[in-house]
Order: sequence, then C-alpha cells, then structure tokens
Amino acid sequence: MSRHHHDLLWQSSLRFLLQHPWHFLLSILGVALGVAMVISIDLSNSSAQRAFSLSAEALTGKATHQIQGSGDFLSDQVYRDLRLTAGYRNSAPVIDGYGRVQGLDRTFQILGVDPIAEGPFRDFSSQDGGIDLAKFITGQPTAVISDQVLEDLAKNIWDSLQVSVGGRPFDLLIAGAIATANQRSQQALESVLLVDINTAQQLFDMDGQLSRIDLIVPDENEEAILASLLAGLPEGTRLVSSGSRTDTLSQMTRAFELNLQALSLLALLVGMFLIYNTMTFSVVQRLPLIGRLRALGVTKSEVLSMIVKEAVLIGLIGTILGITAGIGLAQFLLGLVTQSINDLYFVLSVQELTIELIPVLKAVTLGLGATLLAAFWPAREAAEAEVSTVLRRSSSESRLAQRLPSLALTGIAVGLAGGGILLFPNGGIIAGYSSLLFVIIGFSLLIPALIVGLSVLIRPILGALNGLIGKMSVRGVVTELSRTSVAVAALVVAVAASVGVGVMVDSFRVTVVSWLESQLQADIYVQPPSAVARKADAQLQAELVRMFKETEGVASVHSVFSEDVMTTFGSSNLVTTSLGAKASESYQTKEIQDGFWEQFAQEEVIMISEAYAYRFGIGMGDSLGIMTDKGIQSFPIQAIYFDYASDMGTITMNRSLYDRYFDNRAISGLALYADDKTEVDVLVNRLRDRAVGVQEVFIRSNKGLREASIEIFDRTFTVTVVLRLLAVVVAFVGILSSLMALQLERAREHAVLRANGMTPGQLWNYVITQTGVMGVIAGVLSIPLGLLISYVLVYVINLRSFGWTLEFMVSPSLLIQAVGLAVGAALLAGIYPSWKMARANPADALRSE
Amino acid sequence: MKLSFWQIVTIPILVGLVLSWILFSEPEAEIEATISAAQALSGGDTEGFTQALGPREFVFPEDHGAHPGFKTEWWYYTGNLFSEEGRQFGYQFTIFRNQLSPLDADLEHINPEDPARINPEGNSAHDSEWSTNQLYLAHFAISDVSKKDHVFDERYSRGTAGLAGASVDPYRIWLEDWEITRVKDSKATDERFPVRIKAEMSDGTALDVVLNPQKPLVLQGEEGYDKKGGEDGNASYYISFTRMQTEGLLKKDGESLAVSGLSWMDHEWSTSALDSGQTGWDWFSIQLSNGYELMYYQIRNADPELTPQTTGSLVAPNGQKRDLDQGEVRLEVLEYWTSPHTGARYPVRWTLAIPSEELEMDVTTVFDDQEMTVSVQYYEGALRVSGKFRDEAIDGNGYIEMTGYEQE
Repeated sequence: MSRHHHDLLWQSSLRFLLQHPWHFLLSILGVALGVAMVISIDLSNSSAQRAFSLSAEALTGKATHQIQGSGDFLSDQVYRDLRLTAGYRNSAPVIDGYGRVQGLDRTFQILGVDPIAEGPFRDFSSQDGGIDLAKFITGQPTAVISDQVLEDLAKNIWDSLQVSVGGRPFDLLIAGAIATANQRSQQALESVLLVDINTAQQLFDMDGQLSRIDLIVPDENEEAILASLLAGLPEGTRLVSSGSRTDTLSQMTRAFELNLQALSLLALLVGMFLIYNTMTFSVVQRLPLIGRLRALGVTKSEVLSMIVKEAVLIGLIGTILGITAGIGLAQFLLGLVTQSINDLYFVLSVQELTIELIPVLKAVTLGLGATLLAAFWPAREAAEAEVSTVLRRSSSESRLAQRLPSLALTGIAVGLAGGGILLFPNGGIIAGYSSLLFVIIGFSLLIPALIVGLSVLIRPILGALNGLIGKMSVRGVVTELSRTSVAVAALVVAVAASVGVGVMVDSFRVTVVSWLESQLQADIYVQPPSAVARKADAQLQAELVRMFKETEGVASVHSVFSEDVMTTFGSSNLVTTSLGAKASESYQTKEIQDGFWEQFAQEEVIMISEAYAYRFGIGMGDSLGIMTDKGIQSFPIQAIYFDYASDMGTITMNRSLYDRYFDNRAISGLALYADDKTEVDVLVNRLRDRAVGVQEVFIRSNKGLREASIEIFDRTFTVTVVLRLLAVVVAFVGILSSLMALQLERAREHAVLRANGMTPGQLWNYVITQTGVMGVIAGVLSIPLGLLISYVLVYVINLRSFGWTLEFMVSPSLLIQAVGLAVGAALLAGIYPSWKMARANPADALRSE
Repeated sequence: MKLSFWQIVTIPILVGLVLSWILFSEPEAEIEATISAAQALSGGDTEGFTQALGPREFVFPEDHGAHPGFKTEWWYYTGNLFSEEGRQFGYQFTIFRNQLSPLDADLEHINPEDPARINPEGNSAHDSEWSTNQLYLAHFAISDVSKKDHVFDERYSRGTAGLAGASVDPYRIWLEDWEITRVKDSKATDERFPVRIKAEMSDGTALDVVLNPQKPLVLQGEEGYDKKGGEDGNASYYISFTRMQTEGLLKKDGESLAVSGLSWMDHEWSTSALDSGQTGWDWFSIQLSNGYELMYYQIRNADPELTPQTTGSLVAPNGQKRDLDQGEVRLEVLEYWTSPHTGARYPVRWTLAIPSEELEMDVTTVFDDQEMTVSVQYYEGALRVSGKFRDEAIDGNGYIEMTGYEQE
C-alpha cells in the first residue's frame, strides 16, 4: 500500500473527527480531566516531598548521626561530656523548633546552632559561611534569614524582626542574610531562621538544654566509634542515624499521599469509560463507511491502525491539555495538601510547585495508555467489520443479549474476587484499592443485565405517565443495550465514586464529632499555639499555669503534656494526663482490662490509641518499651482507646507515672472546670485578661474548642472534598458526553420517527425521556455501588491507612444528590440532540438511505 | 495544509522531549549558601573595652586567671623537651581568650514583655549559660627535631557552658579537653605555682607534662606594664615564668616518650597592642645554659626606614630582671626560608648581640618549617643558640614567634 493511501485513510479520520466536534472535544475532555487529576495530585505530593527533603537535607547538613534525649530535650551536659571527656570533635549542638515571623503568614523552622562547631556540618551556619561571631552570638539576640525572605519583608540587615514562638513574641535583630548559591538551596532555606544556640534556648525556654547533637562519624571504623560513643552516653539518650528522623517524618505522610493518588486514579478510570464510550460511538457511526473501505481493499490491520491513530490523537491532545490543566490545578491543590500535612503531621512550608519528570511521564503514560486501552475493543470491532454494509447493530445487539447472563456471571465473579482480596490478612492499602477496582469492574459488567431488569420495572410506570412515547423510550434503552450500557456504566462509576467518597467523609466527620463530645469534658481549655494543629508541640509558661490555677472561679484543673519519645517502635507521641482515674470520663475505650482506671492512676500501666495498636500490631497485655530518663522501661498496655486526632497513634500515661521516669515538668495544655457560681464565658474572659503579657494562648470554652477542632478536621479533608467535586465534574461531563453521543448517533432513527409523523415536540419528549430514563437507571445503580465503595473506603482503606474504626454514616441527601446529578446531567444531555433533530429536515437525515 | 498523522503526533512529542530536556536535564545542585553579613554597627574596635593604660598592682592567684574587659588574653607555653635517648621536641601550647564584644549594660532583651530575662553580662541567673561574649582559641604544636616534623592543631569554643574558660580556684584554663591546671605541690606559692598541661591533637599527638617554675614570676616591661606602640593604650600587661622545669609524657606517631626539659610561660592581656603603622613582631624567648634567660622582641613597621619598637629583658640566675633599652640589642638576619605552604618568607637564622652585656650568639631555628597555618598565619619555632657570654661559651634553647609575614 502506498503512503498516499495511508494518508487518505488518515484524512478521512480527521474529517470525521472534525465533523463531529462535540464528540471529539468530549473525548479529549475525558482524557484531559483524568490526566489533570492524576498529575495534579502527583505534582502536589512530589512538590511537598521535595520541599521536605530539601529542607531536611539543608538542616541535616553533613551530619551522619544524632544524639537525642528520651523526649524532645537533651541535657547540654551530654554535649560537654562528649567534647571534654570523650573528646569527640565532629559534633555540634542543635536546637530546632518552629516559630512564626511577623509579616509572613507561614511557619519557619528555627535552627539554633553554635557557629563555632558548625564548620563540618552546615556551611551556611558556620564562620566559614560568613557568620560574624561577635554580632551573632553576643549582644542583642540576632537571627539570619534567607535573602529572599528579607526581600519579601522589605527589611534590611540590622532591622528588627518579630518572631512568635508558642505564643510568645520576641524581637530579634537581623544579623545577615543567607545568600544561596542555587535554586535548590534557595528552596531548601527559604523557611529557615538561623539563630545562635543561646538565642534558641531563650526562644524555646530551654536553658541548659539542646534538641540534639549532630555527629559526623566516618565510614571507616564506624561501628567501633559508635560503640565507644554509645558507651559514654547516659541513660535516656539515644544515638540514631541522621536519616532516621527524616525517614520517620516522610513515612508519616505515605498513607495520606497514597490515598490521594488512589482517588485521582479513580478519576482516570471514569475517564477511560468515557473514552471507550466515545470511541465505540465513532466506530459504530462509521461502520458503513468502514464496510465500504474494506470492500475497496483496505485491510483489517489498516482499519485497526486507523482507529488506533485516532485514539492516539485524542489521547495526545487530551494528555497535553490534561498536563497543562493539571499543573494549574496542582498550584491550587499544593496549598491544600501542604495545609493538611501541616495540620496532621509536621511543619512544612512549600513555596512553589516543582514540576518533576516522573509525574509528567506517568501522566503521559497513563493518558495515552488509558486511551489506547479504552480504544482497543472499538478498534477491534471496526477491524472485524465485514465487507458488506449489513446492519451491524442488530447483530451486535443480539450477540450482547446472548452474552448478558455470562457477562453478569463474570461480573459477579470479578466482584467476589474483589471481596476475596480483602480476606487476605495483612493486605495493605494497595490491596484495598485493588479490591475496589475489582468491585467497580465487576459491577460494571453486571450493568447490562441490571438495565434490562430495571427497564422491565420502569416501562409500565413510564407507559402510564407518558403513554407510548414513554414506553418507546424505555425500549430504546434496551434495544441499543450495547451502547446504552456503556454510557450508563460510565455514569454509574462516576457517580458512585463521588457517593463513596462523600459517605466516607461524612462517616469520618460524624465519628470525630461524637468522639470530641465525649473527649472534651472540661469547661475551658488552654493551649499555646502549636506549629502542627493536631499535635500539642508548644508549652505553657509555668507562670501562666500557676496564675490560672489560682484564678477565682476555677474549681479544678488538669493538665496534659505531649512529646515525642522513643519506643520499641521508633519515635511515638506520648500524651501525659493528670486526670488519674477520672480519665475514665474522657476516654472511650475499645478494649479495657477490669479495674483499669484505678491502675492507671496508681500503677505503672499505660493505654494506647487504636491507631497505635493497629500500626504496630500490638494490643492488650503486650508491653511497650519506652526510653525514659531512667533508661528503657517496659509498660504493660491495659487499655486501647479511640482517638481520631492522630493517625500516627498515641500512647497515654498518667502524669504521676511520667514524673517517676522523666525529668521534664513541662505542660502543654490545661483543662479547667468552672465552679458552680461562675459562668464559663465570664471565666474565659477573666483568664484571657490574666494571660495578657504572659503568653499568647488559646483559651476556649468546651464548645469553642470543639468547633475549632471540627474546623481543623474539615480543613484536613478539603483536598478529599475537592477531589470529590472534581470527580463529580468528570461524572457530569461523562454523562453529558455519553448520552449526547448516543442521541446524536440515533439521528437517523429520529429522522425515521419524524418522517413517520412524530412532531418535533414529541421527538423532544422522546429523546429527553430516554436520556432521563438512563439518568434514573444510572442514578439508582450508582447508589449500591457507591455504598460498596464507601464500605471499602471506611472499613478497609481507612483502617489499613490509619487504623481507625469509623461509624458508617449515610446521609440521604448525599444519595438524593447522586441521583439528581445523574438525572440532571442526563436531561441536559438530551437537549442539544433533540434541538438539532427537531430543527433538521428529516429528509436530509434520511437521504443516504 | 493537510497534516499527516505522523506530523501531528511527532510535533508534540518532539516539543515534549525538548521541553523535558531543558527542564529536567539540569543536575541536582548541592545545597550551598553563605551569609552575606553584616557591617559592624558599633563604633571602633576597642570602644567599650578596658585598656592597659599604666602599671598596676597584681594580685595572685587571681591575676593568673582571666581578665574580662580586655579584648585579648593569652596563656602561652613553649619549651624544649628531650626524651631519655636525647631526642629533642619543641612544643607550643597557647590558650587565647578573645572578647567578642565589650560588656554592655544596656542590652535590650529579646522578649520585650519579659523584663525578668534581661541579660546584661551573660550571667543573670535566669539566663542560659550558653550566653557569652568570650571566644576561646587554642594552638598546640610539636616540633619533632630529629624528624624535622612540625605538627599542629587548633581549637575553638565559646567561653561558656563549661566548654572553655579560665577559673582561678581551682585553677584551670581550658578549651574542651585541652587544659592547663594547677597541680598540688607543698612548696608552691600563690605567686609561683606548678601546672599541668594536657592536650591531644586530632592526629593523636599528645602532651601531658607538669611544669615547675624555677624562678619567681617576671613582671615584664614596667612592673608588668608593657608598651607596644606609641599610642596610649597600645600596651599590655605581661608576666612570665622564664624557666620552668618540665617533665611528663609526649605521644607522637604512636610512640609514647618520657620527656623532660625547660618551658617558658607568658601570660599577657591587652585590648590593643600595635599602632596603625606596625605590621608584626619577632619575639624571642631563650633559656641559656648558664642560668640566664633572654626575652626580646621587635615590632616591625610597614615603613622599613623606621626603627622597630623593641623590648627585652635579661633574667639572671637569681631571678633579677634587667630591662634592655631600645637599641641595646643588635639583631641581624643571616638566612631566610620561604614557606612552601603560604609563600611567606621568614628569617630562620640570626646573630643576636648585646654589647653592654658582652653577649653574642648565633640563633637558629631547629629546622625551617615550623609555620603555623591555622586561622591566623604565623611562625612559632624552637630555637637552638650558641655563643659567648662574658667570654664564657654558652648554648641554650628557646622559641621564636614571628607574625606579620603574610604574603600580600
């Protein structure tokens, strides 16, 4: 075959696509939306990760190991001993923490160093890097920030800088600007505030204490050096590799990111249904043409390649548009993802989106791959078109009708296989999502049979309502099952995905709200502003605690303290409460030992949160080893409680027990009860007045804290909600495009109806009723699938990702919304074809007959 | 124009490839940054510091300790030690105290709302003990004469948090694990007391010796007030133990040797020493075999026409000091050595004559390369001398310190 011949086929393809612009555009849109969702989530995840690893790289510097205390603090005596007794010189004291710089709405990582010891570790914080010792460590406390920040603040060196740490304001002098050598360094250091170690001790109220000691241990003799260092360390300190902290932190967000990725892939799946649908349509419309081409000697493989080329064109354009739109979307999602990470896990400042190669390649692969995969069956159908121009439709319809039972059985089998995957113990999140995929595919295969079944139910109803046209409409759906079922399936999957995610979020929210109600028993809560919303990482001033306890109207007080300690399972959050046996009123337990609360107050027992138990596979009766200031101690776990504040899980012990093993007397939160004579609001105001000038803290009533917590909860789910809304948009476009395509395809049938005397009004009625019926069927079918999806999300994915038991909560409004969405879009989809058909001269449409 | 499939497909793919080549081909750069600092806010370098303006009464043991308020202070020990087989080792061990800023009473605190945390002198009870304006620096060098091997090391630390400092009772001048401590000796007085020096370099070279003064403390210059430059305040307080019997252990290249010999101690503190036109000094400390010690330095001027400022003293075996007047000492350079490390050209052989004392001797560094290339560049070398003193043949050992020879 000549090249010319190929070109002719291609020109015919192009002309066909351009003559059906709606179609062409909608299929491109299907690919583009799916690709955009996937790449935007990928890019915002990878940008967040990159920002995190860059800042970790900059702050870790060349350190290979770290010495840390049992909790967040390390006595500076350890450093003195290291330098004076052990004589280990490749060491540097570090204090790190967070603070806010006035004038910039973001959290900075405050790094406190001794520039004299910094040389081997971080170039920008040492004398070699240009730190002027006299200015940096003596006189008025100073700070060094990146030159970019200086510019953003419109400040100069030697201007003063207001920094707020845990609600306490400080004035620092800007003693220099970090001039970065390249873009990476710029990104790595843009949210770092460098101070002298003594300044840091004042900012964080850490007299005589450090956060850690950085070490460089050479590769040769590493083991011997580590062993001798370890031998010199006191009880309650640990020697870890520098990467371990970074690894722990970056692992925290893995489940979070994986879930976002999965949701974005769901959008691509819906997109595939759309492509399949439109490609099938374009093939079916051209069957006569293809038949003629075959008669003229065009081979099967040439037909196949023609359709594949069309798919490539659609995939390519869709992918390019999708990547472009995805990058824009990612700019927006990045803020939300970063906000969630900050609320849930750790402080992260991501100033810009980084476009990396891998997400782009993935988007191209997925976009083109999904298009080609979806186009495979239509292309094969086209290639197998016979040389004659027989009416292929009826034969394919009858073939489908024969295959209905086997399709349905396959669907059931696939769905069951999906369920079966869940039975595997220790199946991870990916297994959970695979099962979800199987369930969706299985259900889709059942859809043709379900349509037939449902239409039997609907036909008499519509017959009664809308007479012959009503009945005809329903029949039309069944007689063209090979087309309608795909459109309906696309619709069902799209709507069900949004139902599933919606139910999951609702369930989560209801659970959290009821948990908050039981957890929050006191009248008033006092907390310093913390860098990570769901974690108490700042402390109350002792002075403030004393003052509040003595405030008139306060009947009783209990305190909490939260810090990260090292356990058998690595760094874990330990919450200390002074509630004693009264903790029974606040904590809802999942499992509990008889007489636990008395033991909790008196003896050496602890309880752990459900998420913690799940994460590490431990439970009642197990013992947990915790590194304390008196060395490693083992504490029996005697209760497991519900806690939705942290997916990292929490260990809780009574304050008296904590004080036995730890030297730290800090407090990170107070809960107060008003006496009978005092109104809570009055007391809140009284406390607020007293706090002025001591520390800026949040003083909130029970209700106020509950609302604030729910607000944070909602904020952490913003990304999910946005993704769900995007899925709804994809679904809407999907419904619109598939049904419109279907109706446009039937132009000839409509012409016949017109020619046989149907008025334009009746045709309108016919078309709209038919799309409406499909909308209703899709809406109805999306409910069971949506519930199945939400069931897997709530009971499998959430459990496996975070270890949470959630109440399953289905709000009727969500279901009504789903059906409404399907029907609304379906009706809308009927408008253009009926308008077009009603206006057209039926004779034109029939001319080719 | 009719585009073929391949044209339509190839163009975006090419564009994509080119774009990704441009965007992603750049290698990941190392994280690198420097601090663009900070021009000084305060006035002159010496403003606010205490200055040496005239002779003063010394009080011991207090004056063996630190003198905060003065900008610079050093405890400087040099000596020539011999192993049992007669191997010679020169050593230098100096701890410097450097005050980064003057004591200032009206420092504002960083938390304006918290007056309790005001920190005027770094010693408020509420304050972290990491707060300081004292920087400590130490240099330690060994000249292994038989191997012509000069090894040295430098340490820094802030002078607080127990990391470095100077305390009088118990006596201890230290920078991390390098230290000078007072040792118990029944004969010792507050003015004249034995000390122990202990230090180990990163490469394992170490010294652990006890030093016993054989003569009383020498107050150099005018009762310990030593004018260096012509300008007021360009002077230091300067006291020395010129002959200290030294015994202990020296570790080098994995060998541990019992050593003994003589050491010299200079303790000096000042805020400013040199006038603006002065470039550096050549500073000799020599212990002679007949029981005399000579200290002599000349401060060179940028203008070679100007006569150098000189100070010197000759300490007799009975401890009597005689000051040597300007011009009494004749010094002539016989030989120079150019450092392969820095390109600096240092004198390494001299004749030194004091006609009024009938002293004339040949002074030679024990080997050429004893240059210190640490955060400051200077030459600190062991000396060997031989000559005639009042017709008697004498020899001896000593040390030379030369500064201001940096290549322009």
